[in-house]
Amino acid sequence: MTPTAFVERAEGALADAQLQIALSRATGTLGSRRASAFESLENADAVRDAARAARMNAIANLSGLLERFESKLIANGAHVHWAETAEQANHIVVGIARRTGATRAVKSKSMVSEETHLNEALEQAGVTPIETDLGEYIVQLRHDRPSHIIAPIIHLTRQQVGRVMEERLNVPYTDDTKTLAATARAKLREEFLRADLGISGANFGVADTGSICLVTNEGNGRMVTTMPRVHVVLMGIEKLVASMADLDACLKVLARSGTGQKITVYTTMVRAPRRPGDTDGPEELHVVLLDNGRSRILAGDTAEILGCIRCGACLNVCPVYRNIGGHAYGDTYPGPVGAVVTPGLRGLGPWRELPHASSLCGACRDVCPVRLDIPRMLLALRAAAAADDPQPKSLAWGMKAFGWIASRPALYRAMARVGRLALRARARDGWIGALPGLAGGWTKARDFPAPAARTFQDQWRARGKGRAS
Amino acid sequence: MSVRTAILDRVRHAQRTGRIPGAAALSGPPTRGPERPAPPALIERFVGELAALGVESFVESSPDDVHARVKAIVGARSVLAWDARQLPYDVDRVLVGAARGSSPRDVQAAAQIGVTGCDAAIAETGSLVLLSGEGKPRTASLLPPAHLAIVRQTDLCDSMSEFFRERAADIAAAACCTVITGPSRTADIELTLTLGVHGPGEVIVIVGP
Amino acid sequence: MNAPNHVAQGFSPAEQRFSPAEQRFSPAKPVQLFHTCLVNEVAPEVAMAAVRVLERLGCEVEVPADQTCCGQPAFNAGFHADARQVARHTIGVLERTTGPIVIPSGSCADMIVHQYERLFEEDAAMAARAHAVSARCREFSQFIADCGLRIADSGADAKPSTIRNPQLAMKIAYHPSCHLLRGLGVDRQPKDLIASVDGATPVEVRDQQECCGFGGLFSVKNADISGAMLARKMDAIEASGADRVVSCDLGCLLHIGGGLHRRGSNVRAQHLAEFLDEAAR
Repeated sequence: MTPTAFVERAEGALADAQLQIALSRATGTLGSRRASAFESLENADAVRDAARAARMNAIANLSGLLERFESKLIANGAHVHWAETAEQANHIVVGIARRTGATRAVKSKSMVSEETHLNEALEQAGVTPIETDLGEYIVQLRHDRPSHIIAPIIHLTRQQVGRVMEERLNVPYTDDTKTLAATARAKLREEFLRADLGISGANFGVADTGSICLVTNEGNGRMVTTMPRVHVVLMGIEKLVASMADLDACLKVLARSGTGQKITVYTTMVRAPRRPGDTDGPEELHVVLLDNGRSRILAGDTAEILGCIRCGACLNVCPVYRNIGGHAYGDTYPGPVGAVVTPGLRGLGPWRELPHASSLCGACRDVCPVRLDIPRMLLALRAAAAADDPQPKSLAWGMKAFGWIASRPALYRAMARVGRLALRARARDGWIGALPGLAGGWTKARDFPAPAARTFQDQWRARGKGRAS
Repeated sequence: MSVRTAILDRVRHAQRTGRIPGAAALSGPPTRGPERPAPPALIERFVGELAALGVESFVESSPDDVHARVKAIVGARSVLAWDARQLPYDVDRVLVGAARGSSPRDVQAAAQIGVTGCDAAIAETGSLVLLSGEGKPRTASLLPPAHLAIVRQTDLCDSMSEFFRERAADIAAAACCTVITGPSRTADIELTLTLGVHGPGEVIVIVGP
Repeated sequence: MNAPNHVAQGFSPAEQRFSPAEQRFSPAKPVQLFHTCLVNEVAPEVAMAAVRVLERLGCEVEVPADQTCCGQPAFNAGFHADARQVARHTIGVLERTTGPIVIPSGSCADMIVHQYERLFEEDAAMAARAHAVSARCREFSQFIADCGLRIADSGADAKPSTIRNPQLAMKIAYHPSCHLLRGLGVDRQPKDLIASVDGATPVEVRDQQECCGFGGLFSVKNADISGAMLARKMDAIEASGADRVVSCDLGCLLHIGGGLHRRGSNVRAQHLAEFLDEAAR
């Protein structure tokens, strides 16, 4: 998707009535569940502080934690691989698949694998990836993309789900949710039982123990990490916490923030391939650690965003996301977090519009369980974009003029007077219905009042000193 | 230079220059939870949380009562179970023809109810903790559509924090630690709740003496 | 009971950010009105009303000469050097005065209170001057709700709560502007002030804290999204049965008011200062 077409994508989303209904309902529901879950949490502020501390400390000491994590995993019998780019990561996973002779791979939800387009790479190598998270499974059937970090088909109705299942799975059409889910369960069970390879993401990695923590509600995460002979974990390098106590702090806020649950149904912590005497579990465990721009983010003003625990709370509360949905953001991670992460991972140049797609209301910062200051980071990205390559050029000149004029009061007053006169000339009955140029964006949806003939400063001077009449 | 070295070098540099805010210390360090309640309070809390999750639970005061309850719950369903020595209260005695971890996969997959003990139970959230290990197949709590877990009072702990703290050695010895909180569920389709995709849609707990 | 998010996070209201010494204002000092560029140019009656309200409370109001703008438009657009140029001028203008600086705009107040020091991070001397000015700044409703009583203690007997104007027997919706609510942590004060007007019935607005979609330049650069957010806000206001929507930020008011006018709505958008002034007449 062309990143500079953000405005077009947003327009399309705004015009999609069904998407609007779906988004409104879903974000409203998830948002209020989050609010209730935090209201019932004792010491919520302390808990959030602890989660923030866990993540900030981790990224501040990331190199040491990565080394410790790796050495624990190796001591536990796992293999650790490092990938600088998406291509390298895909290459490694494909290599493991080839070596193990896998032709089918079951996948539990992994945003990082979306980021690297792993599924395409597997398909090209003759390995069939099967998404097993129900929402991701539907996304895969539709050749669609997920539109929300934790609720991937928030943009679809059950009728649409019924139709794609009828088309792709040869089952009778129904829009009954239970039946749809049962169909998926039956189809995917076959896959779980025979897949040679399981691929998962990781919600957290614990450096002290070499544990990989996965949280799911369905149980597909357990299936993927238990049934196949080989299990591959694909994770971003920033996903670490130092200790199990830090993991606990993060787990306390993750489900509450994302879905309003105290904790998800399954919290799986894997640290090794099957031990002697185990009758199930993978024989081989591989962990692929991916950089793909994270170290570059870590070096700059938006390093803080690496503390994100991918709960989706910011999406649910963002009035912009609520109106345009996830696809409009154009890349793997949507919403407020996406507006910071995507320019960081992919480069600011082509993604410069994303940080501007925000009114800076700060609702995201309010709900973030690890208190990420997203508005600050959006402003930092805007400044970086303006410094690097201001667009449009006319805006840069306009701002230069503004800086010059607004620091010279007499000149400012003169220019403002011109502007006021021009506006008053366009007014009818005290209102302006159409403005030219960039300002025309205002009058698309609103009128603008005609400014008064005299400024406050004029009136104040005329009044002289003295009390109000 | 290996990829590993390149990444670690970049990270080492970056964490020095990056703008990483310190932890917000406004509310002070997290307060430690209240003293662990006595067993009756723990059981009550545990059962209450289970109910909120839609998990049916029974509190039995003797091993014989546990056996009777197990028989009643299992009924005529085919069983996939932990090995005899891993099940508490000699529960294995009332299980007939149970498949085990050593059974062929398709036999395990055909079982209608899984029967397990647990390695810990968490009162605060109504969770069961199952560690992988000899005679404790992960499949027993995963493949069948129903899961019966037998919990001893001594398994109960107050919170996940406590569990991580007290049982670190046991966790370290297992390849996999799974915390199960309620039946499998999804709300992916229009945020409408459906149970039993893909893990057990029915979870039952017996708390023994 | 959890502290509201914005308080706990340290993106704090003046109460938390300013030291106790910086909190107290002597009623003997005059009050400086930083009228803001938008009010000055587009809706000067807001500032006139603010002056009258303050004077009724016993304040002597001064208007520092040569005010232009706080610089927020350039800052939000990412043009920090240009913003600094304007901020330097504004700091100079305000430094030459003494006493509390009252600002009838949540976003401008937040700019000066929270963003000026950030703008001058690399310049310790300017940062110190910025801090000295910031410490004196209060948003209008924050000032009169929190400090009004102290001024009344000094002898003036007019308090907002004694206002009675039968013409104001109407339903009033309040729109909390984002920088005011989350940046400065001011929410209780405007609501209390509205509720203190006899005859005015505050009404609840669905999703009250959701952004109206103004966001400065966002309203023109992302006009469609801004328009969609505006529509939601107007629907909620109209559904509340309000006769008026009152807010502390002119930007939001121009946006909401302009939309209501376009829609042909009977709901009128009004700044809190004008509302309180009208209530006392």
